[in-house]
Amino acid sequence: MRRRALALVVVAACLGVVLVAADEIQVTTLVREGRVLVSFRLTNGFSEETLAAIHSGLPTSITYDVALRKGVPIWFDRTLASVTVTVSAQYDNLTRRHQLSRAIDGRVEEVRSEENEEAVRAWMTTFVRLPLFATASLEPNGEYYVRVEARTRPRTAWFFWPWDHGSTAGFARFTYIP
Amino acid sequence: MPERRSHRPLRDNPVLILAGILLLLAALAATLTFANLSARLSPDFLTEFVLYALSIADLTMLVALFFVLARNIVKLVVERRHALPFARFRAKLVTLLLGMTVIPAVLVLLVGSDVIRTSVERWFNAPMDEILSSANTIASDYYQERQQRVTDRAQRIARALAPLELTEGNVGAIQEAIRPEVSQHQVMMVEIYRVVSAAPRAEVQPLVDLASASLPAGYTRASADRLAERAVSGTAEPRVLEPLGSGGELIRATAPIRGAGGRVVGVVVASDYLTGELAARARRMTDAYEAYTQLRVLKRPLTGVYLSFFLMVTLMILVGATWMGLYLAKRITRPIQALSAAAREIGAGHLDHRVEPETADELGSLVDAFNTMAAELSASRRKLERSTIDLQRKHHEAEGRRRYIETILERIATGVVSVDASGRVTTVNAAAARLLGLDEEAVAGQPASVAFSRADLQPLGALFQGATNGGGEPPAQEIALVREGREVHLAAVATALHGEGGTPEGTVLVFDDITPLIRAQKVAAWREVARRLAHEIKNPLTPIQLSAERLRRHFATAPAATHNLVEECATTIVGEVESLKALVDEFSQFARMPAPRRVATDLSALLKESLALYNGLFPDVRIECTFAPDLPAVHVDPEQIRRVVINLVDNAIEAMERKGLVLIGTQHDPTNGVARIAVADNGPGILPAEREKLFLPYYSTKRRGSGLGLAIVRRIIAEHGGSIEVGDNVPRGTRMTIELPC
Repeated sequence: MRRRALALVVVAACLGVVLVAADEIQVTTLVREGRVLVSFRLTNGFSEETLAAIHSGLPTSITYDVALRKGVPIWFDRTLASVTVTVSAQYDNLTRRHQLSRAIDGRVEEVRSEENEEAVRAWMTTFVRLPLFATASLEPNGEYYVRVEARTRPRTAWFFWPWDHGSTAGFARFTYIP
Repeated sequence: MPERRSHRPLRDNPVLILAGILLLLAALAATLTFANLSARLSPDFLTEFVLYALSIADLTMLVALFFVLARNIVKLVVERRHALPFARFRAKLVTLLLGMTVIPAVLVLLVGSDVIRTSVERWFNAPMDEILSSANTIASDYYQERQQRVTDRAQRIARALAPLELTEGNVGAIQEAIRPEVSQHQVMMVEIYRVVSAAPRAEVQPLVDLASASLPAGYTRASADRLAERAVSGTAEPRVLEPLGSGGELIRATAPIRGAGGRVVGVVVASDYLTGELAARARRMTDAYEAYTQLRVLKRPLTGVYLSFFLMVTLMILVGATWMGLYLAKRITRPIQALSAAAREIGAGHLDHRVEPETADELGSLVDAFNTMAAELSASRRKLERSTIDLQRKHHEAEGRRRYIETILERIATGVVSVDASGRVTTVNAAAARLLGLDEEAVAGQPASVAFSRADLQPLGALFQGATNGGGEPPAQEIALVREGREVHLAAVATALHGEGGTPEGTVLVFDDITPLIRAQKVAAWREVARRLAHEIKNPLTPIQLSAERLRRHFATAPAATHNLVEECATTIVGEVESLKALVDEFSQFARMPAPRRVATDLSALLKESLALYNGLFPDVRIECTFAPDLPAVHVDPEQIRRVVINLVDNAIEAMERKGLVLIGTQHDPTNGVARIAVADNGPGILPAEREKLFLPYYSTKRRGSGLGLAIVRRIIAEHGGSIEVGDNVPRGTRMTIELPC
């Protein structure tokens, strides 16, 4: 028995179990015109460390992994589609302006310059009705959920766990009714 | 000596070991070089990629170290539990080596980590913060101020142009309105745009631009056009910095020109020039501030990078030192373990067990010496085994000879008595005991003088003494003893035994019963005498008888007195001659006994037939017969046996003075393979002293007879391979027993 418990502890450590804080990303979904519109907001992604990184001029980015999944009983949930939304900001201490960019799956969607810090924060953490997924592959009356996981760069930890995938996440369930 | 193995396991291959060490050193050197170069890498790259790689490498090496340690520790524990040889010594050695490796490494790691952290902390201090922050503030404020001034100038120009119509026909007035700004170096360049369309897509048309002569080339209208369009569309960012190819930067600001009713009819884009040197200096100050601030932000991961470097180097050293320590411990204990196991194998008797030397150093020499010792032990053992086998064989042979000699001594008819150097009897064989009438067990160990103290044995004692006293090997002597009333003749010879160097070891007396030989010699002598007598005497008898018969016939007609005298004398002469002839015939018969003609004969029937002759002959003699029913046929000469039986019966009747009982019986002894014929009487018997003489020729107890009867009987029985013995009958009388082989 002791050996099993020890093995479980070792396995858990090796797998790098990550504690997911609940409700750090508020996610809402809306199905409209054949698309799943995803809105999400990172509630506490702008820590003091992130702000300090931005003010230091370091390119700071927040990568959101948005996945549309379907639950599978007694097995791993099936990912139907996934999208990566990356927002980055670089502050110029000389001009006191932030250079912002937003990319979806590597394609730059928008570039802008901003002085206001609050505007920068809002621009990097709030996303409204992004048309990320199509409903063609969804089953009517099927139960689905959208999971959003956010990673911030640069990381400021002492040591990087090789299996570290994200620090915050959130999800929202919905039933597809065509 | 076993040959060194040509195929070593990988862990013992010096080439591979050296390659592993070189690889480890190369990795260490690469790590240290990369650590030295890390200062040139951006913190972001260091903290993002390098730290990640180092983390993985550190984890991998930790796992490897853990695996190596765990494996060896578990192995040591198992070996100790199973009490394998040298397990404790090896555990101590490994513990010592690991302790000498791990403890200093951990201490260095802890101290070094603390030093790194402290050093990194020292990078960031208040004065440096203040200096760089102030410098950045100065540069940034200057930029802000210049940008604000350009913005103000643009707005002032926009207000000045508001009343004017922004048409191409009014370009002169517009230029005049903006000229003072440029000529007075308020701004370096002014560009006026007329709004063609506002929403949804803003479109502007350049109308007037006026630039100072001192404005360096390299700027483009496109950036002003975009800026004007954005200003018209209401997008933020009213000013922009445009770097020039010749160095320096152009600060551009926009201001909308509002016409009547507040509608935007045009856009003023004012530009001011920052010299390259100024811009560069400001940028450097900001860059320095940003670099410092970024380091502060990435302080922890940077510290982690250096700690990871340090940890990786330490782990490399630890892995290498641990492995080397374990390897050395194994190299030290393995040959000793092998020697210990080999010693046990040798002790268990497996002398062919050898240990393979793995090294050429002192341990290898020890192993070689052990193998040599084992080889010599093996050779000695084989020699010992051969000697043992040889000894066993010789012992077996000696035992065989002893048994052979004992068997011979027990079986032979020759008496053997041995006496040791102290004069005590050591050996008395069965024949000697029988012939001398001694008890073998009682005599063994007694002094010869006591064993042979009996009067009849004293001649033998004298023989021993004579041999013991020396004087060479005496000749065989004939000694006569009287045993149970019979005379026994022995041919004895005593020989002194001498060991190596001539030391006396005792005496051996050997004697044979030559009584039958003597008897046979006597019989042969008598036979020869009888033959000669018969031949010499028989010849003149016939002439004598014929002469007497002639005289009788001659004097048949003589006067009666002469006739009677001659008749009496002739009769006497003829009668005596007849008697002499009969005597001579008996002698001749004794001398020339014919060989028996044997046929299978029913003894009982033969005896009945022979005894039938006595029917009615002696009325006072009763003859009783007891014949064995299972008596088989015996190969005998019936005539000779008949003569024997008749002779014995005649003697018995004569001995009983023709009155008494004669018993005749037969018996079968299948064990000895003989048929017995017994003739017994109840006469006076025969004295023991007389018994042996009975069978001698010309010996008789009767008043008449030739004395050859029993001699002839004995000769006949002897010719048949049998024997005849005389003994006492019970309760009285004599019993003659004949044994014939069947």
